[in-house]
Amino acid sequence: MSSARLALVYAALVTLITAVLLATVYLVTRSALEREIAAVIRAEVDDLGDDLRLGGVERVAATLRLRADSWGRTGAVFLLTDEQFRPVAGNLSFWPRDIEVAPSTPSYERMVEFEIAAQERGTAVLHPVEARIERLSNGYWLLVGADTSERQEVLRRFGLATLWGTVLTALCVWMLGAAYARRTARRVREYANTCQTIMHGDLTQRLRTDGSRDEFDALAVAVNAMLDRIEEQNTTLRAAFDSIAHDLRTPLYRLRVRLEEAQLRAGTSSEESQSEAQEVIAPALEDLDRLQRTLTTLLAIARAEAQGVTTHHDQVDLAGLAAGLVELYAPGMRAAGLDITLEAPVPAQLTGNRQLLAQLVTNLLENALKYVPAGGHVRVRVAKTPGSVCLSMADDGPGIAAADREAALRPFVRVGDAAAKAAGSGLGLSLAAAVARLHGAQLTLADNAPGLIVSCEFPVSPARGAPA
Amino acid sequence: MHLLLIEDDAEAARFLAKGLRESGYVVDIAADGREGLFRSTEGSYDLIIADRQLPHFDGLSIVAMLRKNGRHTPVLILSALGSVDDRIEGLRAGGDDYLTKPFAFGELLARIEALLRRGNLPEVTTRIRVADLELDLLGRKVSRAGRPIDVTSKEFQLLEFLARRAGQVVTRTMLLEAVWDLHFDPQTNVIDVHISRLRSAVDKGFERPLLHTVRGAGYVLRDGG
Repeated sequence: MSSARLALVYAALVTLITAVLLATVYLVTRSALEREIAAVIRAEVDDLGDDLRLGGVERVAATLRLRADSWGRTGAVFLLTDEQFRPVAGNLSFWPRDIEVAPSTPSYERMVEFEIAAQERGTAVLHPVEARIERLSNGYWLLVGADTSERQEVLRRFGLATLWGTVLTALCVWMLGAAYARRTARRVREYANTCQTIMHGDLTQRLRTDGSRDEFDALAVAVNAMLDRIEEQNTTLRAAFDSIAHDLRTPLYRLRVRLEEAQLRAGTSSEESQSEAQEVIAPALEDLDRLQRTLTTLLAIARAEAQGVTTHHDQVDLAGLAAGLVELYAPGMRAAGLDITLEAPVPAQLTGNRQLLAQLVTNLLENALKYVPAGGHVRVRVAKTPGSVCLSMADDGPGIAAADREAALRPFVRVGDAAAKAAGSGLGLSLAAAVARLHGAQLTLADNAPGLIVSCEFPVSPARGAPA
Repeated sequence: MHLLLIEDDAEAARFLAKGLRESGYVVDIAADGREGLFRSTEGSYDLIIADRQLPHFDGLSIVAMLRKNGRHTPVLILSALGSVDDRIEGLRAGGDDYLTKPFAFGELLARIEALLRRGNLPEVTTRIRVADLELDLLGRKVSRAGRPIDVTSKEFQLLEFLARRAGQVVTRTMLLEAVWDLHFDPQTNVIDVHISRLRSAVDKGFERPLLHTVRGAGYVLRDGG
């Protein structure tokens, strides 16, 4: 529902409620007024009945004559007639024509309404009268009434006021609602326009905030925070693309040079050139393998970063997994002059992707193999605590300078001296970090004084052991 | 041996077929999924090599339909989708092996060989003999020319895998998958170190080496050559 229509609906509702309220007040007032008149008439009739009992018709006529002075002001109407409806006393000159009562009725008591003509500023005006007719004990008829024109006038004005009040309320509510709706619509339109601009590529645009902390401001602040994050990711992504382009182009370029060289040699067909061609082809295939590994690793990182929507999760014993991999690498490590020890005394179950976790451990081991000089020690440790499984690998190699540690986890960032930089793809640690993140853990690098200690703590919930 | 190659990339198909024919196989080529499905159900092939992404029917549907029709022809799936999950999906669909593009031709050849010879040796054998090398599968013991050889349990697994495929080339990736259950390639050649240890255990002191390295492909356990 648009805000304009919402405002209209609210206005209609408020109007309806106001109308019902005012109508109720009007009806209650009217009935109160009517009851009051009836009560006054009743009291008069009772008084006059007393007069009749005490002093007969004469006394009633006297009382009526006595009151004649004030009749004009109060709007009271009296008439006393004999059995044949001939007036005896009162301020009406004849029995009202429209009221017919059978003269034979022995007792009679009834409320009636009729109109009487009166002279007002030279013109005849009809006044409505409400009256009570009673047959007195001596057979005479008594009519006591009140001119209700004043009451009707009051009620008419009251009704008019009610009507106008309702109309004005409706108008005010609608106008306020429309103004609010327009303000809302304008703000939303402004946001939509900004979003359009951003969508068309200008990521520097932000939604306007006014510091009012209302709902719109809160929305704008949240959207802006989201945009900041997207822009930041964009920048990282662009840097990663540049690195990827560089890392793929270099081996591609070498490959091209080698193939061209092989082509040149293929022209001559001596035995010698055949073996030379072999010498060119072997490193070319190695280049291809390296390219392929880089691509595979990149895809694995992308997969792990995509929160593993499709990745298979099962129960993995990290201690057993690490033991198997240490066994796989131990001969290679020993051949490189490294000493490797494993400390994984108890099984450490966690829910995760076995292959990715294996890749994480493998990458750490390969890093040690690449960067720790001969004579070094590598210690792999898997420990189990009530809420987590902790994996760590410590070495006494060159380590990573504190300033470089955070960067070392990013794709294509190589740290250390030139030789160290040449050895790696710059992807190993970032894949390990991505796998850790996928399993709800964070890969941390720290100083082993000397050397590097890489650790990550996987959360394990006692019930299911599922990662986040 | 009669192979069916279902591959929509004509250049790749031509190259693979040429290589396979040179290795002594008879190869038919199907250029899309529909033709591939038709040929694989009509003809009698010893092995089907199917690309995963094909026009009309993809490789996995072809495997699934074959299996539904009760055909157990081994199927090797080739795919550019190379994550572990893709592999698992491919094998679950009924594929017998899964190879990620690009691959070394030697790797393909070794895997074809392994699939074709699978079942030649009964799984429930207790003893494997290659020349004068003998593996006791129950006692997990190795001896050569009657002399016992000390191997670790991992080395025994390695040797058993090679011995079951004696005479066939076994690649490093096949060993990583079968013995270590690792479905990705480590950057360093960790397998080589294990093989050279195994070689020194098996061949040292004997005139005829049994464990050979096949350049650019892998290893083979065989008598001579």
